[in-house]
Amino acid sequence: MDVDFYRPMRLNYQNNALQDEIKAACDTDVERCLECGKCSGGCSNAHIFDYVPRKIVQLVKLGDEDRLMHMDALWICVACHLCVDRCPSQINIPSIIDYMRQKAYRQGIRAERTNIELFHELMLGLVKKNGRISEAPLTISFNLKSKQYLKDAGLAPRMFFKGKLNPFSPRVKDISQVRRLFIKNPRLKEV
Amino acid sequence: MDVAYYPGCSLHALAHEYDLSTRLVCERLGINLQEVPDWNCCGATAAHSLDHSLNVALSARNLQLVDYIKMKEVMTPCSGCFSRLKSGVTELQKVSVREEAEATTGNSLVSATDVKVYHLLQLLTEKVDHEKIEELLVKPLQGLKLAAYYGCLITRPKAVVQFDDPEQPTSMDRLLQAVGAETVKWSHKAECCGGGFAISQTDIVVDLGGQVLEAARQAGASAIVVACPMCQANLDTRQRAIEAERARNYDMPIIYFTQLLGLALGYSPKQVGMNRLLTSPNRLLKSMSA
Ligand code: SF4
Ligand code: SF4
Repeated sequence: MDVDFYRPMRLNYQNNALQDEIKAACDTDVERCLECGKCSGGCSNAHIFDYVPRKIVQLVKLGDEDRLMHMDALWICVACHLCVDRCPSQINIPSIIDYMRQKAYRQGIRAERTNIELFHELMLGLVKKNGRISEAPLTISFNLKSKQYLKDAGLAPRMFFKGKLNPFSPRVKDISQVRRLFIKNPRLKEV
Repeated sequence: MDVAYYPGCSLHALAHEYDLSTRLVCERLGINLQEVPDWNCCGATAAHSLDHSLNVALSARNLQLVDYIKMKEVMTPCSGCFSRLKSGVTELQKVSVREEAEATTGNSLVSATDVKVYHLLQLLTEKVDHEKIEELLVKPLQGLKLAAYYGCLITRPKAVVQFDDPEQPTSMDRLLQAVGAETVKWSHKAECCGGGFAISQTDIVVDLGGQVLEAARQAGASAIVVACPMCQANLDTRQRAIEAERARNYDMPIIYFTQLLGLALGYSPKQVGMNRLLTSPNRLLKSMSA
């Protein structure tokens, strides 16, 4: 890891633009961080994050937008909110992560974990098409598109037998109302 | 009591037994459910992952439909939907967010922001007297040692949800105790099961879900009781993969709390959809009748 988290931080030497942006967008003031590490201690996935929650807050302070937008943690945060509820300063880390991920996505920065991004896109595509989703068509199209043809091959028959897989695609009747949410959205990338 | 009902996509597909048992339990308890007409997907993990305004707009349409049928309260049994709708209301209370969502949906959202969103567990805790449940008890769940599992989104983030304790919740334990079951004290009642990653990043679910299963086993539970279709699907459908990874046999039924309440209120295992669970609860159910 080549960012030096242990060098003294002189925030007035830095550009505070990112910090202000996060404050406005996420309702969270990273300057209140005590660096106590309770967020990282509680985090469900800290053991596989490239930057743990406390360091993510540091990166915001350092204004290191580039690193934030490329980090793997953006895509594997499970949004469990353990970090924010343990934080003595109510720093909303999942909200920071959501914000940076969406920003990266809009700028076309692809996740290294392409499958996660692909899955989100396929899901939104189905919502746009039908207004509702069912797990079976979503899983099938994901496994085909991610070229994992045999994934869940053992599981599917067991689930089918239990009536768990509904092969029909459920639909919202007034689908134009749902499509409108996608079309009228000024920021959304085409899904 | 009348309340609008938002089942969400899972309850119409994978989690049909949760829908069945929710409807039966509510009927028995005198809760009249009115399904939100023509509701849409809440956006699940995907919408808030990729686009905030779409996420809010999807919730906004649902909330507006609740308002349209003149209901002030909406209940959903899915923790994911609950989290989306609940944070949707919080977001829409900001004027700039609301105005943008009004432009996107083409509808006024002023009264939709007054809608109160409940998780089913919250509704049964805050609005139903447990003494009433005890009065209606037909078949006490005696002899069952259960791990009540809440997962993440029913109680967190606490500033938005304002229900129960964020990490040491007790509402489901108390409900299950009211119908005669014993619940174990355990470490993972509000840890994460892996959430929406069951399909796209299965190893995360095998890792986090595996920790939940192992903790329940160590606490001596004979089943895990859930209040979320994602928790159920992750722990049940990935149980064999977890067993392979951990080289241990769990054989742990993952049962919706409404299915157990339904049994206790006199419905048959078939009526509450026990036969639809992948890991069979039959042995557990037999131990109960003995
Ligand atoms: S828990 Fe809060 S205050 Fe402590 S390090 Fe994390 S963000 Fe900073
Ligand atoms: S919300 Fe994300 S960052 Fe926070 S504890 Fe959960 S996984 Fe970690």
